[in-house]
Amino acid sequence: MPVTTTAASVADDPRRPWRKRIISVVAHVVLIAASILMLYPLLWMLAASFRPEREIFSSTSLIPSAVTLNGYISGWHGLPLSFGTFFINSFTISVLCIIGNLAACSMTAFAFARLNFRGKRFWFALMLGTLMLPYQVTLIPQYVLFLKLGWVNTFLPLVVPKYLASDAFFTFLMVQFFRGIPKELDEAAQMDGCSPWRIYYKVLLPLSVPVLTTAAIFTFIFTWDDFFGPLIYLNDIKTYTVALALRNFVDSTGISNWSGLFAMSVLSLVPVFVFFLFFQRLLIEGIATTGMKR
Amino acid sequence: MTARAFDAGSVADARAAIPSPWRRAWTANGPGYMFLLPWFIGFFGLTVGPILISLYLSFTNFDLLTAPQWTGFDNYARMFTADPKFIASMRVTFLFVVFSVPLKLAFALCVALVLNRGMKGLPIYRAVFYLPSLLGASVAIAVLWRRLFAGDGLVNEALAMIGIQGPAWISNPRFSLWTLVILAVWQFGSPMIIFLAGLRQIPQDLYEAADIDGASRWRKFWKITLPLLTPVVFFNAIIQTIEGFKSFTPAFIISGGTGNPINSTLFYTLYLYQEAFGFLRMGYASALAWVLLAIIAAFTAFSFLTSRYWVHYED
Amino acid sequence: MSTNFDRRQFLLGSTALVAAGAVAPAFAQDPGRLRLYWWGGQARADRTNKVSDLFKSKVDPKVTIDGEYNGSFQDYWTKLDTQVAGNNTPDVLQMDYRYIYQYATKGTILALDDYIGKGLDLSDFDKDQIDGGRVGGKLYAISLGANSVAMMVNTAAFKEAGVDLPTPDWSYDDYKTASVAWNKANPRNGMRILQDGSGNEPAYENWLRQRGKALYTADGKLAWTADDLVEWFKLWDDLRANNVCVSPDNQALDANAAIETTMITLGKAATTFANSNQLIAFQKINKDPLTMVNFPRAKKGAGGGHYRKPSQFWSIASTTPAKDESVKYVSFFINDGDAGAALGVERGIPCAKHIRDAIAPTLSDQDRLALNFVSNLGDLLGPLPPVPPAAAGEIDNELQTKSQEVAFGQSTAEDAGPAFFKAATDMLARSS
Repeated sequence: MPVTTTAASVADDPRRPWRKRIISVVAHVVLIAASILMLYPLLWMLAASFRPEREIFSSTSLIPSAVTLNGYISGWHGLPLSFGTFFINSFTISVLCIIGNLAACSMTAFAFARLNFRGKRFWFALMLGTLMLPYQVTLIPQYVLFLKLGWVNTFLPLVVPKYLASDAFFTFLMVQFFRGIPKELDEAAQMDGCSPWRIYYKVLLPLSVPVLTTAAIFTFIFTWDDFFGPLIYLNDIKTYTVALALRNFVDSTGISNWSGLFAMSVLSLVPVFVFFLFFQRLLIEGIATTGMKR
Repeated sequence: MTARAFDAGSVADARAAIPSPWRRAWTANGPGYMFLLPWFIGFFGLTVGPILISLYLSFTNFDLLTAPQWTGFDNYARMFTADPKFIASMRVTFLFVVFSVPLKLAFALCVALVLNRGMKGLPIYRAVFYLPSLLGASVAIAVLWRRLFAGDGLVNEALAMIGIQGPAWISNPRFSLWTLVILAVWQFGSPMIIFLAGLRQIPQDLYEAADIDGASRWRKFWKITLPLLTPVVFFNAIIQTIEGFKSFTPAFIISGGTGNPINSTLFYTLYLYQEAFGFLRMGYASALAWVLLAIIAAFTAFSFLTSRYWVHYED
Repeated sequence: MSTNFDRRQFLLGSTALVAAGAVAPAFAQDPGRLRLYWWGGQARADRTNKVSDLFKSKVDPKVTIDGEYNGSFQDYWTKLDTQVAGNNTPDVLQMDYRYIYQYATKGTILALDDYIGKGLDLSDFDKDQIDGGRVGGKLYAISLGANSVAMMVNTAAFKEAGVDLPTPDWSYDDYKTASVAWNKANPRNGMRILQDGSGNEPAYENWLRQRGKALYTADGKLAWTADDLVEWFKLWDDLRANNVCVSPDNQALDANAAIETTMITLGKAATTFANSNQLIAFQKINKDPLTMVNFPRAKKGAGGGHYRKPSQFWSIASTTPAKDESVKYVSFFINDGDAGAALGVERGIPCAKHIRDAIAPTLSDQDRLALNFVSNLGDLLGPLPPVPPAAAGEIDNELQTKSQEVAFGQSTAEDAGPAFFKAATDMLARSS
């Protein structure tokens, strides 16, 4: 067998450890530069929200010369209703959606993962199929339906579908997770005479805290950022979510209050960012499992 | 606890004593269907029903205030022969997907490969690159982007520092779409995470065997990594493409809801929204939605069919 | 395990409570609440809200008035349509001459004839302003003021450039001549004398009228030909090539026709096509002193382009549960002395004579300028055109897009003219 000296073997050659060091350092430098570039827009907006209005567009540096809360104060009251209302609205919708998703998707996932019934594979395939369905095709009839029900201009069209397990993504996530829980636990409970409901409720759910938390956080982030749904269903400024309010802000005060706009934008991103900080491991693992082979 | 068990037990005994076929079927399938009840209601009421209704509406004129009037294939005919905005929005959306998805996946894969070498600080880098994905679809980011790429925005100031006179990105029809592509590619963190997970699934002994054979790093990548990664690439490509077709918020905010300048940011969903809610032409908008469905279905079918030629599943 | 159950019960209970709150559409159909919606900037918002407060203190203390506004004229209509679709039409909505026909024939706005003299006081209202709000003989909208088109002029910039201020007889050629000296002086680092008006529908209409044509005929067809449009686009091609007007990139910044993004406010041009009543709003956000002049003449001596039109109207939603209250509000708005004083001439010259007389002594110089402008148009004045057809708003938007195609070089004037004529004819046919 010919001994070929290649770059890889040279790099791993214990006699030349510095080569590996250099590659590692270069990699780090590139990654750090890329990180800064990726985060720069966010940092800039954060800095701009604390800057005096006239300075916002005259400097690219991240450190403001004078820190002021003026943007936050003027932005909070920049619309006819204070942003407090909008944050409460967004929060309410998100919480209601989380409860709906957790309840309905876990029930659905339990059925697919643990119960046997005729047509199971058929329905499961259909459910997965809805993952790829573009929402545009159900949009208009859903709107007409909600209009006839008198639900337009309330939170209901945004919240009720979650209670009907409309988010196949989370059902899928939970099915994967449930499959990882040993079936012996189910069987033991069954021998104790537990009904399927009790198995679901007392055995599976308590063990599913990780996936439930992941689903809750993702639901929060998706609904918090949701713009299209509120755009078509919420007409009255009293019902606006933060996303809608921000867009209104851009339209009505236009370019005359950038610091206010950026301040409110920063605030709107804070909840998502906070969840990210504390739960990033869960989020990342959640995403990763969806890429696993089915 | 024993009292409960006793109850359940006696009920079970009673049931076992009367094993009618209907009852047996019910006991067998009942719980499954009960648990699926919410999903069934949603599936038929909010998915299947609306799909069929929107198909019907696509053959009508419907303005919400009066009943739909049947017009046959008029909507579709108009779309393909007399609607320059449709053509424009198709072109814009296709360009967007064709450029942003490969770029996004390329960045995601490259960074994942670098991170997979087991570097120090991996969690931090991973978090940093993932954060834009979480925030990217929000109104706040779109507003920020609009300002960054304005004629006197941060991007042009930065370019000016190295002596390049940047164009007015947002208001120039030649460049406005690219700001949206950049925004999409900025969010490569999500597919990157999936690539990282996929990379970690590749068995190490394959690499060790290659090392013994004296393979270069490049060869290892081409012959081991990439082929085994193809399922993940496939998955990512499909998901990102479908997401690309659904994109709405950035185009809406950056163009102020107009899709201008000259329809250069008129994403398909934005056009659909304009027709449905701006002009109350719900029938036409339904037809638009069905055309999109057809395209996505064709794309998905095509991808799955051709996937056998390049996707290697580890058996 | 029991704690889990309790927590779940609590969650379910509280969900029910909150959901109940979300269920009740407490906002939409509430007779004790008036929803207003208008377009305009901060200046208009301040004044309108002041009138609402006056209404509450003088007429009906129990009512709550929610005033919402949109800075963008274009976006206003999209959002309004969404609300109409959702059965949530605002009780009192601002209406425009281009859109009256569409909303009246669809039944979205209320016919107000029955209320005249019974809650709606039009006793000393200008007759032509009343008629401006009629469709098919019925009154659907109440004019909030008379205006005409006018160009805003940045006097400070002109002084810096050493160029004389435009006079009423300037034609497009005169602006072209002035631009030679202007660009040589290069004030404000690249400011041009004109904005790019090729996509500005009022400018196009004004130019058409001066040549004996119009935008629409009385029966809702186009009153211009493709050749007219080709000539219009060519006019602007020439102005653009000679740097008389701003570059297309800059003009595209004015996407939504909001005052903040017009060329004059952004400092890209020294003049901007606007309306006479907007002088106040423009001055509020422009640091330089502004004045007004008429739209350019098509050629020397041509006239008849301008007309006195209702600047905007109040209409009342046909689905409002608060018809009487809405009528009361509108009548108060146009007739009450304090309201008139608060509004001034920001929405146009008040149509009720007693209001005009009352506020005359309180007007500032600029207010007086706006008032006199409309009264003294002279040979620039032509007859009021008929109510535009239903697709007028959409055609207005499309003209902007088409003009951008020509400006950015994606299409030539010769191609764009016939193409847009065909598209506009299509739009008219589709909407009828």
